[in-house]
Amino acid sequence: MARGSSQSQASSSSNARPSGVGSAPRGTPAAAAGMRRRRLGGGGSAGSFGAGGGGGSNVLRFYTDDAPGLKITPTVVLVMSLCFIGFVTALHVFGKFYRYRSAGAS
Amino acid sequence: MGGGFRVLHLVRPFLSILPEVQSADRRVPFREKVIYTVISLFIFLVCSQLPLYGIHSTTGADPFYWMRVILASNRGTVMELGITPIVTSGLVMQLLAGSKIIEVDNSVREDRALLNGAQKLLGILIAVGEAVAYVVSGMYGSVGQLGVGNAILIIVQLCFAGLIVICLDELLQKGYGLGSGISLFIATNICENIIWKAFSPTTINSGRGAEFEGAVIALFHLLITRTDKVRALREAFYRQNLPNVTNLLATVLVFLIVIYFQGFRVVLPVRSKNARGQQGSYPIKLFYTSNMPIILQSALVSNLYFISQLLYRKYSGNFLVNLLGKWKESEYSGGQYIPVGGLAYYMTAPASLADMAANPFHALFYIVFMLSACALFSKTWIEVSGSSAKDVAKQLKEQQMVMPGHRESNLQKELNRYIPTAAAFGGVCIGALTVLADFMGAIGSGTGILLAVTIIYQYFETFEKEKASELGFFGL
Repeated sequence: MARGSSQSQASSSSNARPSGVGSAPRGTPAAAAGMRRRRLGGGGSAGSFGAGGGGGSNVLRFYTDDAPGLKITPTVVLVMSLCFIGFVTALHVFGKFYRYRSAGAS
Repeated sequence: MGGGFRVLHLVRPFLSILPEVQSADRRVPFREKVIYTVISLFIFLVCSQLPLYGIHSTTGADPFYWMRVILASNRGTVMELGITPIVTSGLVMQLLAGSKIIEVDNSVREDRALLNGAQKLLGILIAVGEAVAYVVSGMYGSVGQLGVGNAILIIVQLCFAGLIVICLDELLQKGYGLGSGISLFIATNICENIIWKAFSPTTINSGRGAEFEGAVIALFHLLITRTDKVRALREAFYRQNLPNVTNLLATVLVFLIVIYFQGFRVVLPVRSKNARGQQGSYPIKLFYTSNMPIILQSALVSNLYFISQLLYRKYSGNFLVNLLGKWKESEYSGGQYIPVGGLAYYMTAPASLADMAANPFHALFYIVFMLSACALFSKTWIEVSGSSAKDVAKQLKEQQMVMPGHRESNLQKELNRYIPTAAAFGGVCIGALTVLADFMGAIGSGTGILLAVTIIYQYFETFEKEKASELGFFGL
């Protein structure tokens, strides 16, 4: 349900084309570049400018903007990863068990 | 050119099915960031120890050996692919965008979204492709041996692991964690390696009785068990083919040198136009591009190694293939191929100082290659990543900052005096340090250590800044 709604939202936002390059809202070029590294960290005078970025200067900073897509919360990511680990472990356990059983039967 | 066909638009149909971590809609507190980072790290570490289910064998030559350091991958585990998919897709997209092959207008929101989407999509495709290639090429035993079911299971595991890494990286970068997932994982992998080499309790029997693998443990073991203490010390310091204490000390030394150099910077004074009297400074670091030159350099080299090895195995008689690289199985590291001739050999660090003296041309070529490659990559990187003088001038202008004593139009020229020099010279320095670390035999290769140190230093800076901003936040 949540998924469906996020998808519809996604498609609508990807269809809404911006009216043009020139009329892009002021300030976006600064925040521009999903792939731009902000080199200004610590550059602005004492904190008044530095608060914007939030992150440090990273090696490869790719995803800084929101893209329309299947929205998932960070908790879901972590839980998903843990489930995956559990799944692989379970595979190992069942694999051992099955091999043991089949070896015993034959 | 607005209406024309653009490659980027091909991605649009996939955008809605790509997973996407929600941006933080509030300020994530420092504690929470640390918790997220630690959990992600934990997941990564578990994944890089958990063996894949269904694999038959992982013995034999490992064509990706040279890439493992920068790609944070571990053989035969779920993290077999490591961060390869993200890094490769990232670099490919950056290069494509930087060289204007795909046109991206960074000021248009849709373009940025499409570019991110394209990057992620490419990452997932690379993960799938590599997983299939691994299994089909028989890295884990031939498909007949594995059985089709198991082969599919392995592919699924690898793909899902790739997806998880992409998501974790995105999670950390979207402001829930500290730094970026990629650098975190690389640094962890290298540090784990160094710690293991120093304190590993595994014993290895190499003909002179059982020896401990870990350098420090071996030192004490030898000191205690041998009667001749001087010989024991010499053994611990200079033993070949296992990590020795000299290597460990070299590692520490390189670590310290890099930290020392990190502090070198030129500080340009800047002044706000709006608020009178508000002074600031814009530091240009010596390591302006940080570790990017070595990442690019080692990505280039390891890809070349990989191709050369594959070619050499198939067509070892061909003259051109031999020119690219000749490979031989190493005696020490179990079935590992090492380059013994051709271009690949000259791009590899000499194994020791004695080796260097025996073959000075090799050493010379290696040094020249490293330094020039690093300088070149560093210069290219500032253009590609948008930290060149022009971009910085633009940013400063947007923040209404000017340099006292210079006209506004002069800002770029003034920055241009420093930034390209800093980038090129910083690149050379990074290259030189890598060479130095390699010659001294530092644990985990010069590249690895340099990466680890610079990443850790970045983390340290982020940490400080987070703390400061937190304090400022509450102090207001």
